[in-house]
Amino acid sequence: MRSLRARLLVGMISGILLLLIVFSVIIYTVVRRTLVNQFDASLAATAQILAASVEQDGDKIELELDIQKMPEFQRVEHPAYFQLWRHNGAVAVRSASLGTDDLLRLDGSLDAPVFRALQTRSGQPGRAVGFKFAPKIESRGRKRYQQSAEQQLLTLVVARDASGLQYQLRFLLWLLLLASLGTIGLSLLVAVFVVREGLSPLNLLAAEIAVIREDNLAVRVGTERMPAEMVPIRKRLNELLSRLEASFNRERRFTADVAHELRTPLAGIRSSLEVTLRRTRDVNEYQASLSDCLTIARNMQAMMDNLLALARIDAHQITFRRDRIQLAKLVNSCWRPFSGRAIERSIVFENRIPGEMNCESDPNLLSIVLSNLLDNAVEYTNKEGQIWTAGRHADNSVEITVANTGCRLTDEEASQVFDCFWRGDLSRTNTGMHCGLGLALVQKIIRALGGCAAAEVTSTGIFTVRLSLPAKRESLSIQ
Amino acid sequence: MRLLLIEDYRPLQKSLAKGLREAGFAVDITGDGREGLWYATSNDYDVIILDLMLPGMDGLSLLKKLRAKGRQSHVLILTAKDTIEDRVTGLDMGADDYLVKPFAFEELLSRLRALMRRRYQEKNSCIHIEEMRIDLTTQRVWRCREELQLTRREYALLEYLAMRAGQTVSRTDIWEHVYEFNSSASSNVVDVYIGYLRKKIERPGKPALIRTVRGRGYILGAQV
Repeated sequence: MRSLRARLLVGMISGILLLLIVFSVIIYTVVRRTLVNQFDASLAATAQILAASVEQDGDKIELELDIQKMPEFQRVEHPAYFQLWRHNGAVAVRSASLGTDDLLRLDGSLDAPVFRALQTRSGQPGRAVGFKFAPKIESRGRKRYQQSAEQQLLTLVVARDASGLQYQLRFLLWLLLLASLGTIGLSLLVAVFVVREGLSPLNLLAAEIAVIREDNLAVRVGTERMPAEMVPIRKRLNELLSRLEASFNRERRFTADVAHELRTPLAGIRSSLEVTLRRTRDVNEYQASLSDCLTIARNMQAMMDNLLALARIDAHQITFRRDRIQLAKLVNSCWRPFSGRAIERSIVFENRIPGEMNCESDPNLLSIVLSNLLDNAVEYTNKEGQIWTAGRHADNSVEITVANTGCRLTDEEASQVFDCFWRGDLSRTNTGMHCGLGLALVQKIIRALGGCAAAEVTSTGIFTVRLSLPAKRESLSIQ
Repeated sequence: MRLLLIEDYRPLQKSLAKGLREAGFAVDITGDGREGLWYATSNDYDVIILDLMLPGMDGLSLLKKLRAKGRQSHVLILTAKDTIEDRVTGLDMGADDYLVKPFAFEELLSRLRALMRRRYQEKNSCIHIEEMRIDLTTQRVWRCREELQLTRREYALLEYLAMRAGQTVSRTDIWEHVYEFNSSASSNVVDVYIGYLRKKIERPGKPALIRTVRGRGYILGAQV
């Protein structure tokens, strides 16, 4: 059952129904037993009066009272019955209401008479009591109550119509049934109201959630007056909204950053072409303009490649190789494209990674990482500064560091260098190649390779990026 | 008219400088915020084209400091920041115009001309002085219905004098508004170009348009 309301209603009504049945059964049983006991007590009292009036005179059994004339046994409708048996089973006396019929013989005792339900001559339900007793002995004009040798044990059974009792019990049964049905009906109404009221905070919450769109994720749901049971739901929902908002903001910021990064080089291309086309020029000028545009386009392509690589890593669309890599050799090959720029700026490069040092990783991805780090280092090292790489084994990992002098970042800024589009200053001098994606890509790749990257800056302006990679890859984090 | 271009993206800086110079402006260039502030406070530029994201000092800080020093040069912010908040902030901090990258070069020129006219309280894009007509948009000049063929520098000089028609304009003013900071021209180049201009705009039998105020400078406009 999917509806919480229906589930609660069924649960409540079932519970009430069960309680009603149990209480009704208990009430009926207790009342029935009480009424039957009262009926039986009255029947037993009549039987004892009858027994007390029985006299034995020799072999003769007589009723002292003119019991047979008691109205109870004389009634035409619903009369009472009695029958007295001698000890040998012969019928001594029976009430006129019995006619020639016999009652069921019940052999109880005076102390413990036997009661039994039966059907009377008129076909009505009745109850009977029976017991054995010793009658009074009448001898020489004196009555004796003591048991003697000649005294016979007689069996007396008295029966009475119990239709009145049955009527009372049936009435009680109907009363309980109707009361139960009424209670169920009322309970249903109350339960519907209670459930509706009880679930109204849920409806309110649903209404609040329904109006949340991607453009108003700053909204938080629920109020302080919410039921205690819903507070954890509200808390989790709001936490989820916070995460969602942060994610959307990150995406918006990223999109805005990308758009922003593309605007400046695009302005460069457009401006260069528009200025060139404003008048007729010689071939050299056209060539220079086209060459400028080509350089910008290449830089933009590099930025797009970085963005694409980031997106692919995020989307788990990169397949990994696992080769044994000689780190010093890889660093040297990655350095080659930047050596010209370094020489122009009189920057000294030193690869201090031991020649025999190696690790098991993806050579292509690791070369992207090292190229980005070295490119970054050449760009931001001071003139006549220094760049160096170093490596060491630590436990089951390999640590590679790329460091350069001339860094003007603070510690706080150094901790942000792996954020997308973050740059030490706000300039766009190197838009395209140095738009703040290189180090973000470095971190993503290193994480995907199962390692970690950290950056630090010393007070003397040495900027160091420390890469930690597993020496031997057991498994790859992204397949 | 003299501009200061503060833009750190070299390809854009290069093409803008070229286009603006070809359009007749004297253009000083820098790609650094601190250096830009020094330029802006050292010279009386007609318009400063200012990028916001600059190394050294960001554009808004530069603008704030420039206005704090009482400099009245018109500032056109040229940036990739395109949100309403960015525009409002830039204009509220003292910029006179705001243009978002990428932009049409013709629009930039048009906005610069508008700022120039505003600077010299000239509403019309066509200036009439006696029988001389100067079209500031097309940069064409006529005297007695005859179009004059002026060089870029001659036109720049005439335009500056025309913007301040009727006022005495000193040689220093002309130097500051027509020549670039790194210009290698000698100090008497102003007099030389005034001579060139006179030859081209003056007509026999007509009143002289460029008059020399001895020891003070020049006035464009016939003597009343």
